[in-house]
Amino acid sequence: MDAIYLDHAATTPIRPEVREAMAPYEDERFGNPSSVHRWGQQARAALEEARERLAAVLGAARREIVFTGSGTEADNLAVLGRWLLARGGGATAVACSAVEHKAVLEAVSAAARDGATALILAVDEEGRLDTGALEEALLSRPCVVSVMWGNNEVGVVQPVEEVAARCREAGVVMHTDAVQALGRVPVRVDRVPCDLLTVNAHKIGGPKGIGALYVRSGVEIAPLLHGGGQESGLRPGTQNVAAAVGLAVAAELAVKEQAAEAERLAGLRDQLERAIVQALPGAVVNGGGAPRLPHILNVSVPDVDQETVLVALDLEGVAASSGSACTSGAIELSHVLAAMGRSAAERAASVRFSLGRTTTAAEIEEAARRIVAVLGRMRAAA
Amino acid sequence: MTIMVAMSGGVDSSVAAALLVEQGHRVIGATIKTFCYSGTTGPSRTCCGLDGIQDARRVCDHLGIPHYVFDMEEVFTRDVIDDFVAEYAAGRTPNPCVRCNSNTKIPALLRRGRMLGADAVATGHYARLGEAADGTWVVRRAADAQKDQTYFLWGVPREVLPRLRFPLAELTKPEVRARARALGLATAEKPESQEICFVPEGDYAGFLASRLGADHPALAPGPLVTADGTVVGQHRGYARYTVGQRKGLGGGFSRPLYVLNVRPATNEVVVGTQTELEREDVVLGDLNWLATPPVEGERVGVQVRHRARVVPARVVSADEERVELRLDRPERAITPGQSGVVFRGDVLVGGGRIR
Repeated sequence: MDAIYLDHAATTPIRPEVREAMAPYEDERFGNPSSVHRWGQQARAALEEARERLAAVLGAARREIVFTGSGTEADNLAVLGRWLLARGGGATAVACSAVEHKAVLEAVSAAARDGATALILAVDEEGRLDTGALEEALLSRPCVVSVMWGNNEVGVVQPVEEVAARCREAGVVMHTDAVQALGRVPVRVDRVPCDLLTVNAHKIGGPKGIGALYVRSGVEIAPLLHGGGQESGLRPGTQNVAAAVGLAVAAELAVKEQAAEAERLAGLRDQLERAIVQALPGAVVNGGGAPRLPHILNVSVPDVDQETVLVALDLEGVAASSGSACTSGAIELSHVLAAMGRSAAERAASVRFSLGRTTTAAEIEEAARRIVAVLGRMRAAA
Repeated sequence: MTIMVAMSGGVDSSVAAALLVEQGHRVIGATIKTFCYSGTTGPSRTCCGLDGIQDARRVCDHLGIPHYVFDMEEVFTRDVIDDFVAEYAAGRTPNPCVRCNSNTKIPALLRRGRMLGADAVATGHYARLGEAADGTWVVRRAADAQKDQTYFLWGVPREVLPRLRFPLAELTKPEVRARARALGLATAEKPESQEICFVPEGDYAGFLASRLGADHPALAPGPLVTADGTVVGQHRGYARYTVGQRKGLGGGFSRPLYVLNVRPATNEVVVGTQTELEREDVVLGDLNWLATPPVEGERVGVQVRHRARVVPARVVSADEERVELRLDRPERAITPGQSGVVFRGDVLVGGGRIR
């Protein structure tokens, strides 16, 4: 068997249906949706249809969807957009959980450099939000509380419904990054009363370079970019129509298949998890005691070095990740595992495997064999 | 054979990798991440974008071989940068590249290579390596005398020689460039880098100030004196001066003056004429040998600077700690902290730091 790709949480291949739906807008229907003429009209129609389809999938209204250039941009728009809007009106704090994606954490840091008090909410050792920390933070009336739906490194699902409800009661705006959760667990803004929600396309079989922020009607944010009035002025810049179509189609498919695919992936994930834990005594499943997204498995294997393991796995034909690779390909120790109280040694020994639509049972069986062999060899050499 | 190649993103290591691929080896590209320019300034660390890493990755992609980045920042900071700063603070002029090869890059890649099933580690140094008649491994000067880099290798632990490879041994620099062009490597026209990789813009005084603090004595003004103690001017901090330097001494002297030595204890920088700069005695410490160590009375060759000639010399005394050499003809600007490298013919015997 050839190389096995188990890094779907980093990115996953574009689905053929998505590519097909996008193709006309990268070709003859190339127009700018803001133009008056027929080319513009065609593009506008496609863009608004994509907006409507994405909104429907999320249980939102069309006008509540803002297309952005990425999930990271949507996270920044949520956090900093709230801060920029609210800082003049007396807000002094922004809050987020300690296990957020860097897109949220660094946006919170940027707000802090601009004078905000950053409230970083603790999690327990399984990575679940400490609701006591949330209650304490709400006393400071932050202009936004950001708690991700499902974690990208360990897969832990946060009690977003409860968090959103508490924020709603307290009159505080709540944002959730649902980039990893969409298509893996039910994600709907008509069931969870969050105010802002981030999704993107390339984690669910869509193209890179497109994300969206759901902005609940009546919730105010300030734009980070300035220019034309596109996306209700919240994200100026000519829209990437083909990518927006790709996002909508990918989201529709992911949500339609969610229940069956989640069950299938969880089964494969558990199979891989059992194989590793049984073969390598001392291996710890990070977040294993909490509800998890079905496609992510994060294990720490004592006495192995993450960097070497990832290289050895790649040489053996298994693509895995540390959970947070920097662009050079070098590795940083996980802030998520740190927040979960893991020691530096445990963090340095963690590896993330993430499954996707193309993952098969045969691949998981073969991957388990290779992973156990590599980790066993590394451990023996340590 | 599986060979890990240390790739800086320059043309030499790119071609070294390409040659090994041509020879049919299983090749793994490796770049060590040694430091972060913006570690203390920007909102997040942008070292990931270092061009060398990305260039190495492009070359490996082109060659169809895997490429990995190993984060050595912590150990590089301790072994190379801290030493660099301490040496300047002590009034000496270090060779960080020598230190990196010996203590950091080569040993670290050998260790990782072994874990990953590599039989050897190759670098893009211009040097020859081979097995001598008695079965020991020896490093010899490269075919390209202009580019020879054995000077940078004296500190490598002797026991690792059997597991090192220098694929550029028999090539000249123009040949290497021609190969890179023929292979269409992205790095073919990349200019030679003479800078110390971790010193931004070559501003080492600024770098020292950031590490030592701007008010460190090594950066404080003091007297510029002649050998007899006459004060002839003021210097701007002794760490800014190295033996043989002419620039930065100020003007108004009746004849060209050069730095003769630096005296950290009294914060003096001693200056003198070109003739005073020439010396015949070289004392080496922090020794490392890649062949039988030199013995008292032996005739050897000594190189005191990269691209300097190898000067014939006699070993005046030699023990475990220290070797004293007398050059046959005086050499200019023999600088404490720099490498003094010893040869027997074209064989690299080893060397030490100049005392």
